[in-house]
Amino acid sequence: MADPTYQRLTRMRVRQQFAIATAARVSLWLGSDHLLHVELSGFTETYKRFYFRDIQAITVQETTRRAVWNIVLLVPIVICLIGILMNVPPNAHWTAVIVWSIFASIFLLPFAVNNLRGTACTCQLRTAVQTEDLASLSRVRQTRKVLEKIRPLIEAAQGRLTAEEASARMQEAASGVAVSWKPDPPPPTAPPILT
Amino acid sequence: MNPLIACPKCRAWLLEDVFNRPDMAPCPSCGTPLQIEVFPALFRKLNPGASAQPVMVEGESSCFYHPQKKAVVPCAGCGRFLCALCDCEFGGEHLCPACLETGKSKGKIQALDNQRTRYDSIALGLVVLPMLIFYFTIITAPMALYVAIRYWKAPRSLVQRSRLRFILAVFLALLQITGWTTFFIVLATRHS
Repeated sequence: MADPTYQRLTRMRVRQQFAIATAARVSLWLGSDHLLHVELSGFTETYKRFYFRDIQAITVQETTRRAVWNIVLLVPIVICLIGILMNVPPNAHWTAVIVWSIFASIFLLPFAVNNLRGTACTCQLRTAVQTEDLASLSRVRQTRKVLEKIRPLIEAAQGRLTAEEASARMQEAASGVAVSWKPDPPPPTAPPILT
Repeated sequence: MNPLIACPKCRAWLLEDVFNRPDMAPCPSCGTPLQIEVFPALFRKLNPGASAQPVMVEGESSCFYHPQKKAVVPCAGCGRFLCALCDCEFGGEHLCPACLETGKSKGKIQALDNQRTRYDSIALGLVVLPMLIFYFTIITAPMALYVAIRYWKAPRSLVQRSRLRFILAVFLALLQITGWTTFFIVLATRHS
């Protein structure tokens, strides 16, 4: 039976960016023979286990989310900077400068965090029966760290495929799919109406 | 399931040059940077499930659920004889569907446990959130204390296994109850 202790791979992360209050929060944990995907919705935790022997593929796709957030955060930062510049000497209103600086820092902090965390990505894990979005893996650097941890465990359970082997087997599979594929027969045509 | 993998963005089949690379590689169709790790399980052929054999010799052990089928293994939970169809191999043990279902519903088989309620978070929520409007704590503090005591031994989260939230909830609830008790005692002594 599997060891019940888990090692944290990712922190809790909201599944949808703009629904912080209501959306489920997800995290990823490492078990002895599986990955545990935990989804916390309200006060209920839902678990999904992905056994290393069953994982078929992990897809990481770079996204533009970091750039989008940068634009969203830069607009108020620029407005705050204009506010600061308008109140520096010669018309020095130091109270206004302090207020604008406080507002700027509110947006500067998430802006800095967004850039320090690196390029954004989405990650999907595929097994024979499902493809699951791993929403807690949202940055390329963090995803690579997790992959470095779990790759040896998956390879220990299944064996290893090199890049060349993977491409060759995929080509082979593609030709197999092409051979087995047959177009649907055309629908029967109704006999012409004779008058 | 089709072993081919599609680009998550453009849905075009990916056939080469993007698998098991150490770095991101662009999708040949849309150019989106991708890193795809594939494992041998993707190309594994699925074995057809075992079919139960009929009883050939009179007196031969038969399945508890299918008396016409030959028994191949006893259930590790209840000891009933099972045919190949009823044999559910799980965690190195052979179980019948009923024992598997019982194990899941009663939480005896942890590997089948796919949902748990965080009673510790409920208790802590009951004691912390009403502090925003303090008067509510007169009702919620005893409720939090009840939840903490009632579900003290209930199965906790699979991943956060300490009772820290329960302890904190009990401590804060007792503090709030003591506060309210003191308030009413002072109120009563002033009036008398």
